[in-house]
Amino acid sequence: MELFLSVITQICITIISVAGIYVLTGLTGMFSLGQAAFMAIGAYASAIFVTKMHLPFVVACILAVIVTVFVGFIVGAPTVRLRKDYISLVTLGFGEAITALLNQLTPLTGGASGFSGIPQITTFPIALLSALIVIILVAFFKTSKYGRQCIAVKSDELAAKAMGINVNAVKMTAFLFSVAVTSYSGCLYAFYTTYVDPTLFGWKKSAEWVIMVFSGGVNSLTGSIVGATVLSGLPEVLRFLQGYRQIVYAVLVLLIINFKPNGLFGHWELTIKNITALFSVKKRKGVKDRWHF
Amino acid sequence: MSLQILLNGIALGSVYALIATGFSLIFNILKFSNFSHGALMAFSAFAGYFIATQNGLGLVPTILVAVLVGGLVALFGEFVAFRRITIKNAPSTYFFVSSITLGMLYEGIVTIKAGANFYNYPRFFKHATIKLGELIISTSDAIMFIISACTLLLLAFIIQKTRFGRALRSVSFDRDTAGLMGINVIRTIQITFVVSGMLAGLAGVFLGINYTLYPTMGSLVVKGFVASVIGGLGSLPGAIIGAVLLGLLDSLSVYLVGSGYAPVVTLLVMLVFLLVRPQGIAGSNILEKA
Repeated sequence: MELFLSVITQICITIISVAGIYVLTGLTGMFSLGQAAFMAIGAYASAIFVTKMHLPFVVACILAVIVTVFVGFIVGAPTVRLRKDYISLVTLGFGEAITALLNQLTPLTGGASGFSGIPQITTFPIALLSALIVIILVAFFKTSKYGRQCIAVKSDELAAKAMGINVNAVKMTAFLFSVAVTSYSGCLYAFYTTYVDPTLFGWKKSAEWVIMVFSGGVNSLTGSIVGATVLSGLPEVLRFLQGYRQIVYAVLVLLIINFKPNGLFGHWELTIKNITALFSVKKRKGVKDRWHF
Repeated sequence: MSLQILLNGIALGSVYALIATGFSLIFNILKFSNFSHGALMAFSAFAGYFIATQNGLGLVPTILVAVLVGGLVALFGEFVAFRRITIKNAPSTYFFVSSITLGMLYEGIVTIKAGANFYNYPRFFKHATIKLGELIISTSDAIMFIISACTLLLLAFIIQKTRFGRALRSVSFDRDTAGLMGINVIRTIQITFVVSGMLAGLAGVFLGINYTLYPTMGSLVVKGFVASVIGGLGSLPGAIIGAVLLGLLDSLSVYLVGSGYAPVVTLLVMLVFLLVRPQGIAGSNILEKA
C-alpha cells in the first residue's frame, strides 16, 4: 500500500510537469528540452530557502517559482522571437548549463553528491490537490483568450500575426506559465523525496514529458494527463523487462506517432458535454486522424 | 601557451564541425532538429569498438566499421521513424518527437549491449605527441583534424559539384517542386540520411578517442547543436565556422574557468549571439514560410 501511494504521488508530480509541457507544446507548439532544468531550479531553490534560510514551505515555494520564472525570462527573451526550433536547442544548452552549475556550486547545492536533508512535507493529499488545481488552471488557460491565441500561434505563426496577435508576447506568456508550473512540481518533488541530485534533471526527462504529451494526444489536455499517468506508471509495470524496457517504450511511442498521429485521445476532452455525447444514440461525426498540429 | 590553446581549440572544433554538419544536413532537407543524431554517434562508436577494436584491429578499420554502421543505421532510422510522416507531409513537430524517440531506441540498444560501463579505445598511436618547436600536439588531435578537414572538403565537393549534391540542394529548397522536376525525393532523403549517419559515425569514434565510450555519450551532440545555432541554423559553412569558434571557446574557457563551468560559458555566448545576431554568422535565417 505504501509503495502504491508513493507511485501515485510521483505520478501526480509528473502530471503537474506534463500539464506545463502541454501548455508549451500542445497549445503553443514549442518544445523545451530544458524543462527538467526548470524543475531542478524549483527543487533546489525551495530546498535552499527552507533548509538554509529557514523560511516556511509555502513562502519558499512561491519564492522558488518567482526565481525560476525570472531565469525563464532570461532564457526566453532572446529565443521566442525566433523560429520555434531555436527554443528546443537553446533550452537543451540551458539544461546542460544548469546541470554543470549544480555540480560546481558545491557549498550551496551539494554538488554531484546531491542535496540531502530536505524535510518531507509533500504528502499524497498535497500532491493530488496540487495536481487537480494545476489541471484546472491549465484547462481554464486553454479556453481563455490566451489559450486560443496560443493555438492560433501554433497553427500558423504568420497568419496569427496578420490577425493582430502579438506572437512574441503569446509565446513568452506560454513559456513562462509552463516554467512556473514545472518549477512548482520541482518544489513538490524535492520535499517528497527529501533528496535531489543533478542527474535527475537531464534532457532525457524533458524529452520523456514531451513524449507523454504526444502519445496521449497533443491537442487534448485529457489525453496528455492520461498519457502522463499511463507512461509514468508503465515502467513500474514493465519492471520485468529490465534493459529492454526503454526499447519497448520507444517502439510503442514510434508506433503511436506513425499510426495514430493525434495521439490516443485526438481532440477529445473530458467535459460533461462530451461524456453525454459519448453515451447518446446519435451518431457522432468522427474527426478523421490526420497530422493536425 | 596561447598558441597551444588555439591548436587544441581547432582540433576540438573540427570534431564539432563533423557533428554540426551531420545535423545541419538533415535540418536542411527535412527542416527539423534531428535529436537522434547524438545517440547514433554513440551507437556507431560502440559498433566500431565491439566489431573492430576488440578484434585487435587498428584505427582505420574501427573508423570504417563505425562509418558503415552509422550510414546503415541512419537508413534504417529514416525508414522506421520518418518515412511515413515525410510522405504525409506532417508538421515538423512530429519529426522532432520521432527523432527523440528514435534516439531513445538507439540508446536502449547500446545500453543492453554495453551496460552502463565506460569503455576506452586502446591507444592507436605509437607516439602520443608530436613536438614542433615549443608546441606539443597530441597525435590524435592532429589525425582528427586532418581526417575531419578532408571529410568536410569532400562533402563540400559532393554538395556543390555532383548530381546528388544538386538534387540535395533542390530538395532542401523546395521538396514538392523538386519532385515535380523528376528528382527522386525519397531516394535523395535516404542518401542524405546515410551521409549524415556516416558523419555521425566518424564523429562518434573521434569523441570516443577524445573522451571515453559510454552509452549516453550522445549528449555531446549538444556541441554540434550549439555550433549550428551560432553559425546559423541550416547553413553548412555557418555550421563549420560556428563549430571551430565553439572549439576555440571551449578550450579557452576550460583554461580560464575550468571544465566544470564550460557549459555555462557556452550557453551565455549562445544567448548573447541570439540577442545580437539571431541569424547566425552565415546570416541565412530560416524563417517560417507562409
